[in-house]
Amino acid sequence: METITHAAIRQSGRYSRLKIEGLSMELLRGLYRGMVRLRRCEEALMVQYRVADEIRCPVHFTIGQEAVPAALGLLLRKDDFLYSHHRCHGYFLAKDAPMGALFAELFGRTTGANGGLAGSQEISMPSHNFFSGAILSGALSLAAGSAFAFQYKGDDRVALAGFGEAATEEGIFWEALSYASVRKLPLVYICENNLYSMYSAQVNRQPADDLSKRVQAFGVRTFTLFGNDPVAAYEALREAIEYARKGGGPCFLEFYTYRINAHVGPESDDYINYRPADEIEFWKSNDPIALFEERLDHAGLLGRSERELIVAEIDEEIDEAFQFARNSPMPADVDLEALSRSCESPFAERHLPLSSVGDFDETQPVAVLAPY
Amino acid sequence: MRTLTYAQAVNEALAQALELSEDVVVLGQLVDTSGVFGTTKGLVEKFGKKRVQDFPVSENLMTSAGMGAALAGMRPVLVHHRLDFMVYAMDPIVNWLSLWRLKSNGQSRLPVTIRTVVGKGWGQGPQHSKSLHGWFAHLPGVNVAVPATAHDAKGLLLESIFGETPTIILENRSLFSMEEVVPENPYRIPFGQAAIRRRGQHVTVAALGIMVPIALRVAKQLAEESIEVEVLDLRTVSPLDRDTVLKSVAKTKRLVVADPAWRSVSVAAEVIAFVSEKLGRDLASNPTRVCFPDSHTPMSAPLEASFYPDDAAMLSAIRSVL
Repeated sequence: METITHAAIRQSGRYSRLKIEGLSMELLRGLYRGMVRLRRCEEALMVQYRVADEIRCPVHFTIGQEAVPAALGLLLRKDDFLYSHHRCHGYFLAKDAPMGALFAELFGRTTGANGGLAGSQEISMPSHNFFSGAILSGALSLAAGSAFAFQYKGDDRVALAGFGEAATEEGIFWEALSYASVRKLPLVYICENNLYSMYSAQVNRQPADDLSKRVQAFGVRTFTLFGNDPVAAYEALREAIEYARKGGGPCFLEFYTYRINAHVGPESDDYINYRPADEIEFWKSNDPIALFEERLDHAGLLGRSERELIVAEIDEEIDEAFQFARNSPMPADVDLEALSRSCESPFAERHLPLSSVGDFDETQPVAVLAPY
Repeated sequence: MRTLTYAQAVNEALAQALELSEDVVVLGQLVDTSGVFGTTKGLVEKFGKKRVQDFPVSENLMTSAGMGAALAGMRPVLVHHRLDFMVYAMDPIVNWLSLWRLKSNGQSRLPVTIRTVVGKGWGQGPQHSKSLHGWFAHLPGVNVAVPATAHDAKGLLLESIFGETPTIILENRSLFSMEEVVPENPYRIPFGQAAIRRRGQHVTVAALGIMVPIALRVAKQLAEESIEVEVLDLRTVSPLDRDTVLKSVAKTKRLVVADPAWRSVSVAAEVIAFVSEKLGRDLASNPTRVCFPDSHTPMSAPLEASFYPDDAAMLSAIRSVL
């Protein structure tokens, strides 16, 4: 596969380049655990979504796209900033934010990451430097601002943003890319190209499946990869994050992947017939967890019983997260108007005296504007 | 007693803010070279290009970047030569800045200050003269100020930079040369406090921005006829100082609202609405508005001159409620 595109990936058949030789057990375990944790978490939420009608917000599940968040989770520092979009559970967990706070947020409880005020698609966790929002591309431009702040302060922190290929159809993406390149900002953009924006294929929306090439024209370093290979994702992300952290400038990574579940909600949306059945089958046969397990089996590493132990541990965490959410109170008597605006100015109060009204002379002339 | 022009007062506030905290940066097109009508003059010489940075022609990005920087602990000041260009930034303002505090359950603070100049006169035309303070005030979660004088321009700007809430400050270009006594030390004026610029018992004029000097001039003229006009300068439209307006109207029982913006669905309409809700039955006459017509600004000089309400328009509005 010379040039990576969705067509080239289909043409070259089932992926066979996943290499785990020479990697530490800790890394293999971490990647496996990260992917399975996200998968089990999403599957459990899908099952519970309708049961008692406890999750009453749009949820964009991410089955099939586990490799990138799992790899990212092993590379981020706590003080790095990570921005995400509506399909954000993988990124939330990658930032080491607690699963209980995620579930409670979906359940609209006070113990949710945002007290139940944001829901799945807009969840944030400022204590973990994790932020997301549902308006496409908005968050990636915030990341540029945080990267600006890190550079200004001389920190070696990195700002990252995850998004889909459709986010690049907004003008702000290119504004941010241009600015990040001019200023050499410590910024890492992670584009998960999953071929569809809701029900519209990339080919209907973009002139060609060559996003990385277009990004290169801005002088930004790019990485283009098959996105269901967690090892390749890990290595590319590591290189990009280090490059940005050391002052090399922004990086753009494009991971070719596929969303197996519906755009939104737990039920399938394939009744709309927006994607061919053989395409779905192709990507199911390239499931990142299955590909990885195959390689592990082949190499005789992380055997079945060890994997079962990991899964059991994860399932216990999921059970606890559900219990935590269900046992937490619903918000009540929240003063929404007070919460919308901070009326406190502690810094200003400390440093500045109050002044009331000046002595304005109303008889003076208003400006007569010169040409300008 | 030292006087400064409006532009000098803004300039001094920026310089003092840059001195007070390393977290303050001034970003905007040409803030380092054009001086933005004197308001950023000399800042780059004193504080360097790191603190006073030119920004690409990307108003949308500049605003989101300001928010991203604030999330990382900074206090950015974003500058627009004309408000009309800032409309590119409606997504970060409406979808991100304004709702972020609520959505974060009060965890995030966003001290982002957006300074924007509103053009008036010399054929600014429809794309260089819009004053959208009513739009912005409609949004929960954003502070909006329309300072009328040099003293207020400095104090409100400093309060905004060192506050915790995203703030939009609209500065009318035609006020930039007007002078006032301005204290040399840095000081703050809290949002949501109207200024009583002139006391009177016959009629209340609640004015904003460029309408304030007009209201004061006309009030002085009417005083010669023993008509005492109470002139309130609202100063900030979000939050709005409802108490001061209500207290004044409870006394005068007559109200004129002078709002430098389109008449319909305006701050003027909001003021009349809340006064009517509280004091409707006590009013001695129907309240009225002095506003711009519901039209965009024409370029041609005579049309432009008639577009903006003048002293005569204010006088006739006040007489109509007496």
